[in-house]
Amino acid sequence: MKMENLKKVTSMQNFSSFVILLIMLVITTVLQDNFFTLGSFISNVNAFAPLILLSIGQSIVMISGAIDLSNGAMLSLMTCILASTMQADNPLSGVKALLIALAAALVCGLLNGFAVGFMKEPPVIVTFATSYMFLGAGLFILPRPGGNCANWVLGFYNMSLVENAPGWLIGLTRYVPPVFLVILLVVGVAMVMRRTRFMRYLYATGSNEASAYATGINTAKIRIIAYLINAVCVFLTAVYLVAQNRSGDYQLGDAYTLRTIAAAVIGGVSMSGGRGDVFSAIIGALISSLVNKIIFFANLPTAYQTLISGLIVIAALGVSFLYSYLDERKKIKELRGKAEVQNE
Amino acid sequence: MVILEVKNITKRFNGVHALDQASLRCKRGKITGLLGANGSGKSTLSKIITGVYHADSGEISFEGKQVSFSNPAESKKNGISMVFQNMSLIDDLTVWQNIVLGCEDKKGMLLDDEAAKKKARDVLLELSSDIEINSRLSQLSTSDMQIVEIAKAMVYEPKLLILDEPTASLENKQAERLFECMHSLADKGVAMIFTSHRMKEVMEMCDEVYVFKNGKNAGYLDFEKDDRDEDVVVSMITGKDRKGKIVSDRRKKERAPLAEKMLEVKDLSYLSYLRHISFDVKKGEILGIGGLTGQGQEELMLALAGYYRQLDSGTFYLEQEQLQLNRPSRAIEKGIFLVPGDRNKEGLFLKHSIYHNVIFPKLASRKHPIVIPKKKYQVLCEEAMDTLSVAALHGTDTQVMSLSGGNAQKIVVAKWLNFQTKVMLLSDPAKGVDIGAKEDLYAFMRNMVNTENNSVILYASDSDELIQYCDRVLIMYEGKIIGELTGDDINEEAIQAMGLKGVQHKGARTR
Repeated sequence: MKMENLKKVTSMQNFSSFVILLIMLVITTVLQDNFFTLGSFISNVNAFAPLILLSIGQSIVMISGAIDLSNGAMLSLMTCILASTMQADNPLSGVKALLIALAAALVCGLLNGFAVGFMKEPPVIVTFATSYMFLGAGLFILPRPGGNCANWVLGFYNMSLVENAPGWLIGLTRYVPPVFLVILLVVGVAMVMRRTRFMRYLYATGSNEASAYATGINTAKIRIIAYLINAVCVFLTAVYLVAQNRSGDYQLGDAYTLRTIAAAVIGGVSMSGGRGDVFSAIIGALISSLVNKIIFFANLPTAYQTLISGLIVIAALGVSFLYSYLDERKKIKELRGKAEVQNE
Repeated sequence: MVILEVKNITKRFNGVHALDQASLRCKRGKITGLLGANGSGKSTLSKIITGVYHADSGEISFEGKQVSFSNPAESKKNGISMVFQNMSLIDDLTVWQNIVLGCEDKKGMLLDDEAAKKKARDVLLELSSDIEINSRLSQLSTSDMQIVEIAKAMVYEPKLLILDEPTASLENKQAERLFECMHSLADKGVAMIFTSHRMKEVMEMCDEVYVFKNGKNAGYLDFEKDDRDEDVVVSMITGKDRKGKIVSDRRKKERAPLAEKMLEVKDLSYLSYLRHISFDVKKGEILGIGGLTGQGQEELMLALAGYYRQLDSGTFYLEQEQLQLNRPSRAIEKGIFLVPGDRNKEGLFLKHSIYHNVIFPKLASRKHPIVIPKKKYQVLCEEAMDTLSVAALHGTDTQVMSLSGGNAQKIVVAKWLNFQTKVMLLSDPAKGVDIGAKEDLYAFMRNMVNTENNSVILYASDSDELIQYCDRVLIMYEGKIIGELTGDDINEEAIQAMGLKGVQHKGARTR
């Protein structure tokens, strides 16, 4: 019985990437003495959150068999819209800004989704093009980084900065940063969505679009919804970043795009679709972020971060290739074994 | 009681008529057969009925009401289900997820997985299948995948079930089980449309048969009144009179194969697929490989074509000279050519023209000039098309994707016409090929071995082909050659008996 359970756990989808995450955690704790303190936990969560949220959105798109190269630019655009609409002491402006930005995010997602899902254009090209559109729009709205953040919106980053915030909320967020709650909410929604038709069809579309279509699945609709979900994740990240920086910046998201792809791949989401899940994305984002931290604590120049990130992605791809190679060899060995037994 | 009435359906693809005023009627509890060459429109008709394609004109009424479905899911919900040829399954999902795909039950907002699993188990039980519902689809064999396709079509209790070549990838036992299911469905009042190239199956299973030719109705037989006469049906399909032609063609050939060996194979082994196989092929001979499907025949063809890098054992002699068959290029250099089992994936460049496909091997040969002599090759290509009687809309510029199965298969063969063939390996060449093209191909093969004294090794899943065209037949079971038939010994009973004898042996061993 115990062996069976062990086998079940080790063959679970995210097991190997989870092990790697644990290894990274161990290394980090060795390099950073105060890793397990509350202050360290809060600052880590606050630092890792954007990548985690963005990677979740990217993974949904990747599972559908597509990709989004525009999420960084979309993020920048959202921060520009938010920061330019809000005024520090006008709570209503905060509401207005959130609604406008959400609407804009959905339009961006719809644009990507329509071109990829309905017009069947290649995702790489479409999202590459839209990234420039979003960049342009961001530049137009906020030519220089700046803007404002309404006071209550700051609560997405730090509750204690919010005037008139309820005491219990400030107390809670002293231990659990607000953005952590947002991530928990997103994960909760994802877990519920696992049991929906949409998720099943998402995997079907990503695994084999032709077969999914032949079964009568509206693959265009699935793709569009995937991009919309991604856009919402980008929106949430934007709100958080504006709360953190109290400003918008048309270039803010540039660094994130490729990192979200790397994170998803490292975590085990397949570029060709149909494999991986939200947890893969989270684990991948954590691994990627911890690696950067390790580089920092090892006193290596920051330039090494991108280099190492790239190497890790190749290594992760290499590992999955290794797995399938070993699987093949195992299969062949089994067949050879069977043959020898039957060869009288 | 008529459940489906199709009246005067016309459908054009790029100006070519796929269907021209086609009509059809199906009755409850009756199995209606659709026969016809590829390109005759029968699969187009099935696809229009289920909503994969939309007709240009004509009407369809189902259960008395006029219908026009916009996609397969809609027709399935309304009671018309179609069994595809392994083209609607998702590799990364499990068996049960695939079976209920598109028509999942919901418990409130969420999917009801328990109900789905039960449905899957029930329907697989009906098909007497022991497939594990929780296994990933990618882990199953091709024939098991086909069973899952059938289960998927049956799970929502259709009123009309369309089966398009369902037995092509099934073993005999599984096919028999399918037929039993079809009979019990008919007893329950389900109407069925059944298409197959295997004449025997259609003649035995169906209550009536519609024959299509070039998109038009070419004939109809009602087996309650008419005889089940294969020849009549075949003459409707080909438009030629074929009475009494099921006599072996080898009697008509000019001379017997030579005694000289062309290819000799000694102790060929590869994993569990091929086990200590030894045989030889004479010059001027057509050697058949038979037996139940999946006994290593396809792997034998691949091994002889040099496909496997590392064989466990095996020596080969071509015209007394030893050769290494560990790379396809080596086999091709020596004149051993393969017509592969899956022509679309392994034998053709679908998006390219006939010209590009036919001349491609020439481009790969070592002594090739830098500038391609287009005019010369164009002529060669046209000659090849002529030899094999390939008719194409735009001549050599026709995109191979648009050709019917039979014509496409001829193009696969045409590639090798400009080379010196020593051994032509045919891996189930008539799969999905219409009767006319099939006869053209085999006539060509027979002619080739007679005039050039080379050899053909033919693996055919249809024993009729083995009977009609082969001088000798080797029967395979579980990777071994368990029997050999020559001359008049080659007949249906002998082939079946030998193929099954292997099974009995196995039963005796396991105690």
